[in-house]
Amino acid sequence: MSETRKSIFAAFGIVMSIGAVYGGLRVRQNADLGTLEASAKDAPVSRMLASRTNDVNVPAADYFYELSQKLKEQYVEPVTDDQKLASGAIRGMISSLGDPDSSYMDKDQFKAFLNARVGKFEGIGADFVLEYDSRKGGDPRGATKPKPQGEIEMDPEDALVNVQEIPKVEVVTVVPGGPADKAGVQIGDTVDTIDGHWIVNSNLIRKFRVASKKFTDKKMTRAQLEILRSEVRSKFDKAIFPGKAKEKLFMGKSGSVSVIWSRNGTLRSTTIQRGVSSLNGFTQTAGTINLPFVDGSAESLKAAIRNRDSVIIDLRNNSLGDVQAMKHCLEVIAPKGQYGYFITRRHDSPTPLAVLNGNPNPPRIKLITDRSTRGMAEAFALALSSKGLATLTSSSMGGDTSCRQIVQLPDGSGYTLVTSTYSPTLAKSMVTKKGGA
Amino acid sequence: MRVVPKILGFGVVLLGCFLFGFGWPDLQHGKLPSAHAMNTLFGVKSGAAASPEQEFSHAYTKILTDYIQPVDATNLKYAGMEGLMSSLGDPHTVFMPPQAAEAFNDETKANFGGIGARLAPDPLGAKISSVFDDGPAFAAGIRAGNVVTGVDGKSVTGRETDDIVTMIKGKEGTIVKLTVIQSDKPRPVVLTIKRARIIAPTVDYKYFSDYQIGYMSILSFSEPTAAQFDHELAKLEAHSMKGLVIDLRDNPGGLLDSAVDMLSRFFENKLVVKMKFRDGHEESAETIPGYLHEFNYPIAILINEDSASAAEIFSGCLHDYGRAKLVGTHSYGKASVQNVFPLIDRSSAKITIAKYFLPFTPFFGRKIDQDGVFLSGGLEPDLKVELDPSSVIDPDNPKTDGQFWKAIQLLNPNPAPSSNSSAKSH
Repeated sequence: MSETRKSIFAAFGIVMSIGAVYGGLRVRQNADLGTLEASAKDAPVSRMLASRTNDVNVPAADYFYELSQKLKEQYVEPVTDDQKLASGAIRGMISSLGDPDSSYMDKDQFKAFLNARVGKFEGIGADFVLEYDSRKGGDPRGATKPKPQGEIEMDPEDALVNVQEIPKVEVVTVVPGGPADKAGVQIGDTVDTIDGHWIVNSNLIRKFRVASKKFTDKKMTRAQLEILRSEVRSKFDKAIFPGKAKEKLFMGKSGSVSVIWSRNGTLRSTTIQRGVSSLNGFTQTAGTINLPFVDGSAESLKAAIRNRDSVIIDLRNNSLGDVQAMKHCLEVIAPKGQYGYFITRRHDSPTPLAVLNGNPNPPRIKLITDRSTRGMAEAFALALSSKGLATLTSSSMGGDTSCRQIVQLPDGSGYTLVTSTYSPTLAKSMVTKKGGA
Repeated sequence: MRVVPKILGFGVVLLGCFLFGFGWPDLQHGKLPSAHAMNTLFGVKSGAAASPEQEFSHAYTKILTDYIQPVDATNLKYAGMEGLMSSLGDPHTVFMPPQAAEAFNDETKANFGGIGARLAPDPLGAKISSVFDDGPAFAAGIRAGNVVTGVDGKSVTGRETDDIVTMIKGKEGTIVKLTVIQSDKPRPVVLTIKRARIIAPTVDYKYFSDYQIGYMSILSFSEPTAAQFDHELAKLEAHSMKGLVIDLRDNPGGLLDSAVDMLSRFFENKLVVKMKFRDGHEESAETIPGYLHEFNYPIAILINEDSASAAEIFSGCLHDYGRAKLVGTHSYGKASVQNVFPLIDRSSAKITIAKYFLPFTPFFGRKIDQDGVFLSGGLEPDLKVELDPSSVIDPDNPKTDGQFWKAIQLLNPNPAPSSNSSAKSH
């Protein structure tokens, strides 16, 4: 081999080696990015943010993996339950939305939730929503800061100054004949105190803020402020947060709970025995149809309205309906056409609620509605009444037509995610809340 | 032919180079190439159809694409990481997104100038809880009980105390303007204060002649604490003492060595804490000989939920060896050691890597639920006394401080009537 050939070979070898190293790096980069393929849609968003706030944008899935590994390597106790980590991360993401209708539920909570959807209640036989005052004013969600997680503890005194708004625990369903019903609980009641624990609410905080302002403006004496301050303090000492309060009332089949309810500013004490109660499924009594929006309702409805020129449908205590079941019922009872929209606040176009085949000879429909008519039941009522196909006994319904996705996780826990709200017209956008159509 | 082995050899070298390149991002961080990345290289799908990682990804994507309104992807990711870390139920194992991580760094470096005062929460801003005698705040006329409502012209009403402290601190020699409510002035005043380097005193004492009780307050455990303790103790012991009350309320801890030094005044060559690490190895700290002091009187220690870490080790040890009674409410329950791991995007992960064990007390680490609500942990006091939150404590009158008062009664149940009713301080 001549010297020249040797040199050429050596140069070739070096170039190839460098190329191989570079190739390895490139393949690795692609491998790292590839894990997020499933969510390619959000990639532009991430990159945009990356250029603004971070030097490096690690894809979420890789982040999750790396952090889990770190914990497994370093944490003082063995970390073996990957599922728990995943559920924890999902809980963190959902609660960062600050949306009372999008919530993570642990295994027992989720089970109770699923049961309630088919009418089987435990606890005191009632359902609750966490209602923000501002929501009624028209700003539905995201009005609050996300709840602090992790090290920052939920110190009630902290909540006093930091959490901007805290929802009220409001009754939206009372199971007829159930424990809450027997105790005289009504739709719209809010929970003030449970077993001596006061539910943190923003009214008192606001009142205190106003007083503080008055004090600084010299319109209130220190003594007056001190009286209010000690009231706040004594309440906060034994306070619990709304989510916990709901759990205490919604779950459990034994024991009793003493509750102070607030109705139009008046307080009322009760002691209620927890137990099992249930809402009627699909029934037809004396010409009135009770129509929960669950699997199979559409078929029952179809049979019930056959050869009838008028029907009465009871939509009271109907707040946990399923969107697909509602659509099927509409298909059975309403003629072909478009019945409003599912609207989001993203930059996408509204999804029409359309009846494809429909019922060419719809009966005259009377809907029994009240404030316990919520969610898909309210959407159903609005869809029919906006087309003049039904009359409502009350146009004052629950004021919430959010459409929620329900996702169960392998460990039995699960979460809900609000994806849209129903509105009969585009003009009356989703911000229309109380009062309905 | 010798060409074939040569080509093969060259091929192996090339493959080596390729793998080196592939593994470089890990090697850069001093790790072996991640199995995860290797799996993607060789097309191995990790785990079953829905591994927890995929499940997380799925939820992440779903929230980004399906939630009713747009969500910031980066914040969502960080919220997920915070949830991931908090799922262990350990309040000290936390994820810190870039901003929080940077704040934490600054805090631990603590190379800040200040005004020489301590702040406590107040609905109107921050209340001055104590002022250091030789600091700039004192010189400017700020006294304990004043309330800071503004910093550099901005209102701080409703802000977290930590935030207000951060606003007040700054480079040594620079100016900060504080709006302060002082009870003797009709309206808030604006004070201009030059920031200075602050060496905070950690020990304070008082003698209560009515009860013949010495009172020693330790604010934190730092390097000079043991020496300051000796110094102030000598002054106290010039009086006749029926007992000593050591106040560790709101003491967040500090250096373990400082607590060990202090405990060396009480006993020699005794176990203080055992640290148990993940891999099973243990380290322990013992008191050192040569510093023994004779305490001829009983001791009570005041603790509350803000007594943590070194403060718990100090009080827990004295309690375990029968040298002191604990009075107050349960302590915080900081019984672990953390390490901060910086992450690639300037976030960091603070992870508990070891646990502390006291000589006899069972593990007292704090447990919280996922809402951050206290479940269990901390040292239990021998004498449980809640502080009446509405009471205004007069440092010269122990009867206004329920916990201190109970401790005095414990140490000296029958105080001799005395003519002199004032407290002596340094």
